[in-house]
Amino acid sequence: MKSLIRRNFDKQPIANYPDYKSSSLRAPKNKKIYIPSSISEISGPKFNKNIIGKLDNDLTLNYSHNNKVPIGQKIIVHGKIVDQYYKPIEGALIEIWQANASGKYLHPNDQNDVPIDPNFCGSGRYITSSNGYYEFRTIQPGAYPYPNRGIEWRPMHIHFSIFGKSFGQRLITQMYFQGDPLIKLCPMINSIPNKKAKKSLIGSLDLSLSETDKLLAYKFDIILRGYNQTFFENRKEGL
Amino acid sequence: MKHSDNFFDETPFQTAGPFLHIGCSPNLIGINNIFKNDLGVFPFEKEKHSNIISISGSVFDGNSEALNDVMIETWQCNDKGEYLDGQGFARFVPNEETKKFTLKTIKPGAVIGLDGKFQSPHILMSISSRGINMNLNTRIYFEDDDLSNDTTLSIINQKDKINTLIAKKIDKFNYIFDVYLQGNKETVFLDI
Ligand SMILES: [Fe+3]
Repeated sequence: MKSLIRRNFDKQPIANYPDYKSSSLRAPKNKKIYIPSSISEISGPKFNKNIIGKLDNDLTLNYSHNNKVPIGQKIIVHGKIVDQYYKPIEGALIEIWQANASGKYLHPNDQNDVPIDPNFCGSGRYITSSNGYYEFRTIQPGAYPYPNRGIEWRPMHIHFSIFGKSFGQRLITQMYFQGDPLIKLCPMINSIPNKKAKKSLIGSLDLSLSETDKLLAYKFDIILRGYNQTFFENRKEGL
Repeated sequence: MKHSDNFFDETPFQTAGPFLHIGCSPNLIGINNIFKNDLGVFPFEKEKHSNIISISGSVFDGNSEALNDVMIETWQCNDKGEYLDGQGFARFVPNEETKKFTLKTIKPGAVIGLDGKFQSPHILMSISSRGINMNLNTRIYFEDDDLSNDTTLSIINQKDKINTLIAKKIDKFNYIFDVYLQGNKETVFLDI
């Protein structure tokens, strides 16, 4: 039976990171208990491609009213969903959410005193095909202030939620933008102790797409956990 | 596992933040004209089931306050112990005011792994929110099942810790499962 490759917590954020205030009352104090993969962890929800509408991955159009487009700089965010051997993952569900160009979320709890955009909701989704590739068209999100140690600023970012093949591969993360000076000040990124791991969350400017005469592109590959193969004597493969 | 040039680290997690509903449950916050249905509203909608159970509870922070800005996701098999394509997944949030969540589902069956190891009926649970840098994983077991031979519980191996993973039975169809992020009742979270 296959099992998930064990997580390397040195490359993951520290749960209780004092510079990020909200983590202090929400980070468990005890160490996580490791359990070997069972069928429960290596199976997972599968999402049918037919739930995805034509415009679900085009945030510049999926909330437009009367053919009006959202305000802001149009960008492409694209890349691959792969496992730890860089093998593409087919059928991965990617859900994204983000602020609009002024740094405002279309959410009842967003208190920032900047305008919503009536033609932008900041929500998108996509299911990868066999090459693991995904692409979103969207608007460059604005940075925004939030209460932490006093008021601090979040760097520009897009939230990503990904389901691969199994529940144990579930990942929620954020993509940042190359060159943003707020990145190095952000306690959420800095909760990741490893420099290379931090850097892997920064989408890189990509001028290789043919459309970059019209809009800028950022490339962001996402690596989900891979599997070890372990074999048990006297047992047949499969159910 | 040998680390080589062809082996890469998993992408790091980041908090889902307070606005995760925009991407994960837009209809819930009134963004109704983008995706027809929120995903995971009911885990077994394709089948007809008469024996629906309900598991309710809250997620408490270190101040013993119930949270209403968390997202909970669950994954489970059917009543025969089979994991199915397109079924078994649920996604929900606590009620704004009562701060209680309710999962309506079928009670999962016992699972035999491919390695032959026995598992008592259980549901996988993942919790994400602002302040949680990396989703927290745990399991829901049921008070009225035989839990003496379960592989995972035998690894945890401490009665008070095991108890944090067991839903309390109220009656035939209702269970309570509270999650404590910190404190003397802190839930056991699993490195899966
Ligand atoms: Fe955000």
